[in-house]
Amino acid sequence: MSVPIVVAQNLVKWYGPRLAVRDVSFSVAEGEVVGLLGPNGSGKSTIFRILTGYLVPSSGTVAVAGRDATTESLALRHEVGYVPEDAPLYDHMRVVEFLRFMAQLKGLFGRSAVRAVEAVVTRLQLEKVASLPIGKLSRGYRQRVAIGQALLNDPKLLILDEPTSGLDPSQVITIRDLIRELAGRQTVLIASHVLPEIERIASRVMILLDGRLLTDDALALETNGERLRLQVTGAEQEVRACIAAVPGVRSIVVESGSRGLDLRYLVEADRRPGMAQHLATALVGSGLALSELATMPPDLERVFLQLTRRPAEEAA
Amino acid sequence: MRRFLVLWIKEEKALFSSPIAYVLIAGFLLIMGYSFTLALFISHAMTLVHLFFQMFVLFLLTVPIITMRLIAEERKLRTIELLLTSPVTETQVVLAKFAASMSLILLMLVQSGAYAIVLGIYGNPDWGPIFSGYLGLVLLAAALVGVGLLTSALTNNQIIAALLSLSTFLLLWIIDEYGYLLPDPFDSLVVNLSLSVHFKPFATGSMYFSDVAFYLSAAMLSLFLSVRALAWR
Repeated sequence: MSVPIVVAQNLVKWYGPRLAVRDVSFSVAEGEVVGLLGPNGSGKSTIFRILTGYLVPSSGTVAVAGRDATTESLALRHEVGYVPEDAPLYDHMRVVEFLRFMAQLKGLFGRSAVRAVEAVVTRLQLEKVASLPIGKLSRGYRQRVAIGQALLNDPKLLILDEPTSGLDPSQVITIRDLIRELAGRQTVLIASHVLPEIERIASRVMILLDGRLLTDDALALETNGERLRLQVTGAEQEVRACIAAVPGVRSIVVESGSRGLDLRYLVEADRRPGMAQHLATALVGSGLALSELATMPPDLERVFLQLTRRPAEEAA
Repeated sequence: MRRFLVLWIKEEKALFSSPIAYVLIAGFLLIMGYSFTLALFISHAMTLVHLFFQMFVLFLLTVPIITMRLIAEERKLRTIELLLTSPVTETQVVLAKFAASMSLILLMLVQSGAYAIVLGIYGNPDWGPIFSGYLGLVLLAAALVGVGLLTSALTNNQIIAALLSLSTFLLLWIIDEYGYLLPDPFDSLVVNLSLSVHFKPFATGSMYFSDVAFYLSAAMLSLFLSVRALAWR
């Protein structure tokens, strides 16, 4: 594993009598794109605000690029680009004026500020709206401006809080592509309560519920097993029996929507070498017609539901 | 220092890009111009004392309008997150807002200097009380803007911020009226909190260190508390 950019240890945050973050520890390596997934109010924004030095944790420590969030807050803010939820911006400012203002706050003056603003305007395709007041921009452009200001000083860590919230589908695709493009250059932490968003962007997913970190790698949890989709022609009972006889098979479900003798089955099995081959051999050997066999991507939704249900069941 | 200047310029632009600043300046000059002309024609007095007392009252009423949005609006629109996740300190943010608000008030005072110039051209006024009156108004404004900033830092509702500061100013204006009725030593304690008690000497041409210290310490204390209120999150 490469050098960690973020190291959070035993983070706790109280808002008066309410405990918002409960003993959260995690680290993010350089170059990773990490998704923070959780329902609204689960503590995602609070953790991000601690990482940016905006909030001080009640206890625990956070370091970004080796800078402690409490004792070296100003130095830490040089290393972090932050896009808050709903892109709060100064509506009366023009786009370029705002970007120049933010560049100067980040310590870029004179020609370096001009160069940084020009680079961001080009990179985020803001040329068309550069001279417009921010208050007149669409949500998609506002979000781009917000991301732009976070990138001005080329920070080591980019934090995006619900970057696609409230956008229409085409704007979502644009912002998603943009984040994918950033992913190659920056370490990115992205929060969302929309599972497919995180699934498409992040290389690692952390799940948060009621301020508690349930897992710091949901995709790894899922990939302990394997999911395969098979399309087989034959009597359902016979097919099921054949599949179940293969060692390592955990469950068999008929995919909704398939009918008759030509059914699609979702099979969950242990991750073993040659599992797909074993299944194919077993089915074909039994004289059943196998017309499709595919490995399914990790099902984050299932992991999320399993993890978030467990604490509720434990509480009950 | 450079970041403070950047923040200050941003505040100036925000202030002068809204019509509030222009309405306030216009209203202030209209009222002052009317009073000055009337007083000059009626009394023929080569003095601005009555104007200083009117400006004192006008400042009590207008400073809450200037300061109410300063931090409350940033909190409400959450732009404060943008500012305070950048490498700037709360002190820089507060001082920039203070400087911008003071600049508007100084602009109003400078324009009202036209009345003094008129007196200088057409008569022979005593310049001492005029200078001390203006100094008193600047110090008063600093204290009022400080308190206004503090109330704006305590809430994200501009109206509440304005009402809080206005109530505080009105209370500190009239506090000496009833303060004298209190037993010793509370009477002098309460009377010394009065904005008008400390302003009268300036307006009439007397300057005391205690009055200067009162306004300066009120401004500095409220600025310090504003920084603490902004840092408390």
